[in-house]
Amino acid sequence: MALVLGIETSCDETAAAVVDDEFRVHSSVVESSIDLHRAFGGVVPELAGRAHVATIGPVVRRALDDAGLDPSSPAISGVAVTSGPGLIGSLLVGLSSAKALAYAWDVPFIGVNHLEGHLFAPLLEARDLQWPLMTLLVSGGHSLIVLQPGPGQHDVLGETIDDAAGEAYDKVARWLGLGYPGGPEIDRLAKEGSPEAMKLPVSMIGDDFDLSFSGLKTAVVRATEAHREIALADVAASFQAALSEQLLRKLRHALERYDVAGVALAGGVAANSALRAGVTQLAKEFGLVVHLPTMAMCTDNAAMIAAAGLHRLATSGPSPLDLSARPNWQLADVS
Amino acid sequence: MGPVVNILAIETATTACAIALRVASGEEFEVILDDERHHTESLTPGIRDLLARVGLAAKDLDRVVVDRGPGLYTGLRVGVATAIGLSLGASAELVSVTSLELLAHGAHRSGVRGTFVSAVDGRRGELFVQTFSLGDEVSPRSEPEVTRPDALRDEWAQRDETATFGGDGVARYEAAFRELSRATLLDLRVPPPIEALSLGAIRPPESLVSPMYLREADAVANFSTRERSS
Ligand SMILES: [Zn+2]
Repeated sequence: MALVLGIETSCDETAAAVVDDEFRVHSSVVESSIDLHRAFGGVVPELAGRAHVATIGPVVRRALDDAGLDPSSPAISGVAVTSGPGLIGSLLVGLSSAKALAYAWDVPFIGVNHLEGHLFAPLLEARDLQWPLMTLLVSGGHSLIVLQPGPGQHDVLGETIDDAAGEAYDKVARWLGLGYPGGPEIDRLAKEGSPEAMKLPVSMIGDDFDLSFSGLKTAVVRATEAHREIALADVAASFQAALSEQLLRKLRHALERYDVAGVALAGGVAANSALRAGVTQLAKEFGLVVHLPTMAMCTDNAAMIAAAGLHRLATSGPSPLDLSARPNWQLADVS
Repeated sequence: MGPVVNILAIETATTACAIALRVASGEEFEVILDDERHHTESLTPGIRDLLARVGLAAKDLDRVVVDRGPGLYTGLRVGVATAIGLSLGASAELVSVTSLELLAHGAHRSGVRGTFVSAVDGRRGELFVQTFSLGDEVSPRSEPEVTRPDALRDEWAQRDETATFGGDGVARYEAAFRELSRATLLDLRVPPPIEALSLGAIRPPESLVSPMYLREADAVANFSTRERSS
């Protein structure tokens, strides 16, 4: 049994995990610096970088400890780390410590694409996933529709041309004076409001698979300025409905176009209740196996990075120790 | 505590990335790995190559000493994160030193005596500085602090004291320092990692090391005056 240590520091989560080659998670530790960023309504890169370097040691130590491994000579066959995309000052912390650990233990080092990591998250919870798989990957930094013929194979069908879905949630939440991050706040509030209270545009109704959320955010701002009497819960419900509607329309379009066996949600916005309900409904309609990740697998974690690292190690081999961070590394450029 | 035998020092506080190694025989090595801020690319391969050259593996290291700054934030995080990973993986003790004291010890080794001011370029028109007395020993006379080059110049112009200045901050603001009639400028830009070997050998190991920033993150400093955008 081969064990891989995964490390993730691309945004505001410092995470480490130990996963084996059958994708069993032996330990997974996630330390978030989100409380430091709340007052600013978004992740502050310098604060995130400082938090990572302060927590990386204890987090890795705990992940090894939880997996019953001795840091001085663990039964580890590789160290996988997110090398992009993400905040450069944050990526460098994980990358530097991962290289040092791999060298110290004399085991392969693997640079992993963060988005490919998210695509491996479903495999950690359901090893019998049905392929080909259509995945809607939505988070604070990314929004993509990806066709996966098999594990580690991905065709990016479409992605956002402006804001990510989670970013739209944050911006609207900030406009409404709600807390950060916006997703859970709006989701909670939306349950008390009517999705039909406001007429909001469902943008990007074209024939492609690209997404766009900045127009929707602007529409919310305009509508609430024009109608100050609308209840906050109604705004939240209407916004959430319009955003889910766009995602679900595009996903439906992709399912009509491509023959797949399963459909999956991934990324932080996969925790959204409206989206989970919509995707479940869609899967039922198309007769597909649906995979909705647990909350812990939606958000950034290192188990998914370790899983992607195991795959990359087996298919592409290790990365060189002089690997650079790639803050803008596209999923389409991973091979 | 037994004798510390194989010690590695990591230096990434300025634009240069450098390492030093002391082995059981007492022999010391110093290598400048790059001066273009590609620290994360060159640091671990550089350590691997230097250790291999003297026939050591990472697990032979007894202690890792890291310069925790002050200096360039990104470089410091690369250095400290590498030191953390290496000490954890190699079961080596972890110790930190500061860039300002390394400069003072470097100056001392090259024969400078009397008052010495370490000045590291802090970017944004600022310097990280600390004053030392160099006699038989190196002793700090002030705490590390942030200042502007013209303020530092004015302060020393008023003092009736000769002093030597060193660090990449001196090189950067040489014109300002040249105005000081009682100042000697030392061409010492990179905090020498070889000084970290002796300094680090006698300090107690630390369980956690973080960079010395001396400044709040920009966002925090600017937050009260910042206008919030939608
Ligand atoms: Zn993510």
